[in-house]
Amino acid sequence: MTIMEERQAEIGRPRPRKEDARLITGRSRYTDNITLPGMLHLAMVRSPLARARITGIDTSAAASAPGVVQVLTGADLAAEQGSMPNAWPITPEQKTPPHPAVAVDTVNFAGEIVAVVIARSAAAARDASELIDVDYEDLPVVTDLATAARDEEVIHPDLGTNRSATWVFDSAQAGTGGDVEEALANSEVVIERTFTQQRLIPAFMEPRSTVVDPTGEQITMWSATQIPHVLRVMLALTLGVPESKLRVIAPDVGGGFGGKLQVTPEEVITLLAARRVGKPCKYTETRSETMMGAHHGRDQLQTLRLGANRDGTVTGLDVRLLADMGAYLGLITSGIPILGAFMYNGIYKFSAYRFECTNVFTNKVWTDAYRGAGRPEATFAIERMMDELATELGMDPIEVRRKNWIAHEEFPFTTVASLEYDSGNYEAATDKALELFDYEGLRAEQRRRRESGDPVQLGIGVSTFTEMCGLAPSRVLGALDYGAGGWEYAQVRVLPTGNVEVVTGVSPHGQGHVTAWSQIVADRLGVPFENVEVLYGDTQVAQRGMDTYGSRSLAVGGMAVVAATDKVVEKAKQVAAHMLEAATEDIEFSGGQFSVRGTDQGVSFNDVALATFAAHDLPDGFEPSLDSDATFDPENFSFPHGTHLAAMEVDTETGQVRVHKYVCVDDVGHVINPLIVDGQVHGGLAQGIAQALFEEAIYDESGTLLTGSFTEYLVPSAPDLPEFTVDRTYTPATTNVLGVKGVGEAGTIASTPAIVNGILDAIRHLGVEDVPMPCSPSRVWNAIQQARTSGQQAPEPEVAP
Amino acid sequence: MELTHHFEVPASKETTWQTFNDLEQVVPCFPGATLTEVDGDEFTGQVKVKIGPISLTYQGTGRFVERDEAAGKIVLEASGKDRRGNGNAGATVTAVLTETADGTAVDVNTDLDIGGKPAQFGRGMIQSISNKMLQRFLDCIRSKMTDEQPTGTP
Repeated sequence: MTIMEERQAEIGRPRPRKEDARLITGRSRYTDNITLPGMLHLAMVRSPLARARITGIDTSAAASAPGVVQVLTGADLAAEQGSMPNAWPITPEQKTPPHPAVAVDTVNFAGEIVAVVIARSAAAARDASELIDVDYEDLPVVTDLATAARDEEVIHPDLGTNRSATWVFDSAQAGTGGDVEEALANSEVVIERTFTQQRLIPAFMEPRSTVVDPTGEQITMWSATQIPHVLRVMLALTLGVPESKLRVIAPDVGGGFGGKLQVTPEEVITLLAARRVGKPCKYTETRSETMMGAHHGRDQLQTLRLGANRDGTVTGLDVRLLADMGAYLGLITSGIPILGAFMYNGIYKFSAYRFECTNVFTNKVWTDAYRGAGRPEATFAIERMMDELATELGMDPIEVRRKNWIAHEEFPFTTVASLEYDSGNYEAATDKALELFDYEGLRAEQRRRRESGDPVQLGIGVSTFTEMCGLAPSRVLGALDYGAGGWEYAQVRVLPTGNVEVVTGVSPHGQGHVTAWSQIVADRLGVPFENVEVLYGDTQVAQRGMDTYGSRSLAVGGMAVVAATDKVVEKAKQVAAHMLEAATEDIEFSGGQFSVRGTDQGVSFNDVALATFAAHDLPDGFEPSLDSDATFDPENFSFPHGTHLAAMEVDTETGQVRVHKYVCVDDVGHVINPLIVDGQVHGGLAQGIAQALFEEAIYDESGTLLTGSFTEYLVPSAPDLPEFTVDRTYTPATTNVLGVKGVGEAGTIASTPAIVNGILDAIRHLGVEDVPMPCSPSRVWNAIQQARTSGQQAPEPEVAP
Repeated sequence: MELTHHFEVPASKETTWQTFNDLEQVVPCFPGATLTEVDGDEFTGQVKVKIGPISLTYQGTGRFVERDEAAGKIVLEASGKDRRGNGNAGATVTAVLTETADGTAVDVNTDLDIGGKPAQFGRGMIQSISNKMLQRFLDCIRSKMTDEQPTGTP
């Protein structure tokens, strides 16, 4: 036996991602790259109207167009298409309208599919789709959330109301705090504000695409999805296809951000079309179809009342939401605002809290998960309110937060919203951020500019946040009436040469799972990083899984990998003990070597792997395999937190806003790969800053999406963003052995309020109290002008410029 | 979307009135428009427009809603849908004729309602394109009343 060199730990190494070489050199296979023999192509005919009755569809010209195989309308598919699934009925009384994949009688948003062309080429399908003549009878359109909630015009008449459901959390009832009304009545200060969470478009890089091959024993679907496993079971339930007859594959997927956490009409249609014609079919959407037909995010009206005493102690928080569902309920549309319900108290010790959300239908595409899903909205609201409180009391915004946050020695801490935060150190993260930011220096600079009447004013925005990640403990999901559990699955397979295959139930689409999982397994088995292969995204390969969203992959999926790996080691110890003629209890395993405690005798992991494969001489009764699988159900959420500070420059003469400096110190627990974590934070910041400054999905009053392309919908690129100072503190999660918390959404959640708070801090002295998002130059300029001329708050312009 | 235009013609109010009331003269003046049928106050026709990359052929009907010769006021309404399902469009054109020292002043107010793809993609362009098209429409009508060639390039 040779003495092995001390191997460097893989966990914590900034390994460049294994998958990138392939992805960035074109050796990728996205769904649209898939071409099957005899494959046909689909094009969708979409309603240009937001609400109308379909009075006739003439498909004759399209049906006889060159290359067209078949044309399908809602009437043709009515008997088999079922209704698109909603997996989260938030109350037993929730009103859920039927949601056909292809509209049958009425359309309820512009972009809804009314007919499908199947043709020999994508071009022929698209050309023929323009020959379909649909007659519509206009119906009154309701796009405004508050108007819709008044039920003057009911979008789905059979439901009798536009209100889908109302969900309430009350700390007095839950026993986690006092009565809010009583608390507010006894408060020395009560602040009431209304914020609009504008509608956003997920804007993933790869448009959605689906290929279905119906010719095998199983119907095979490739789809640009985050959720192949959920998709498979939902397709089975929706269409009545036996689940065992379905195989779903998510090949390379180019981003999702929640936008591909969906079971889509397009997937259902491609499957039905392929089954009808008995040939493989492909559908790939255009970017404009993504914009108008794929689900949007956010879109809430928030009314908040925060009570506090003059010393800055918050006494209670009351939250009322109107949440825009759009025209239908998608997979988890209804539950998105409820995910926020547990986060309005943020990192603070409030003594009373009440949350009430009413979900409302409008004639717009439905909303659903978008990076953060409910939690960015909540964090924005509370972090804006804490700044409002600081202003009201004349306190420093950091001081107000210190006064109310949970101190590090108080963990584990049960919050007023009933969650148990296992760990955290808000003081450490904040102190580090203040130092990196040069908080005092920038405050001095702010005073200097204010006193000199500089046209470019400086403001400092603070955002201290936490989020519930690692979705989710199955029992909690059950208590929230969600339709499934939150466990995750993994399998570790040991090949005869000692190489290792890791099967994971989470489905990566840009996060770097392959690299991170390789690092975890390499350390635990003592095998080289390069010898670990990670397999995923195919229900025939990864037979079980709950897929990727909610910063769950590492904290839940990674833990399943750990559990499966540990089982492999336990089995291998038995083989090693047999090989070394020792007792299993005396076998130690470290750095890929099994050794007998107290001796220099040992065998390598590779030796054990080969011996197990050969199976010539194994312990009596030992099953000749080291392969193991595990299903991990988290006992609690994980709670990453951080402090984000933004120095914002506002040109008071033009309204132009610039991020002068951005510092964030996140605490995501132990870090497997700092490069990946930095990348997640950078991307998250870009999306969060984009909500604050750039992005908004705008519908006109007739329900036409005016931001239907990237010339109108402003996604920032690198020149629009500042240099980020990204740092970390490390307070491990105590609820999983890796000590990890999740990082996918942190940047998005924390940055939006930091930016807006910074803008307001720069111009509040001019009398500006609010600027609605996105804080475009014209909105900022208008707010300043209005405040200067009237000394009052600026009204919101009708649409963003 | 509301668009307003004003022009003057060196013709009497009566001549101007007659021109405006003659659908066979008025409708073809609209760029890309062809008249397929006239039946009293009503007509059918189509308008071809190109907005950036989007080609549209609106087919539809129109009619005089109001013809008040004493007040010199004409209200014309037209609506159509794109042959390729890209959306609907509608317009209400109100023209008011006023006698002036040199002829007739015409004030035109157009309430334009464009839905679907052109509204989605051409948001930045629709106003200027509509303005240009209406300007050419009115130039054409004016030329008919003054026997001038239209000034706008086709």
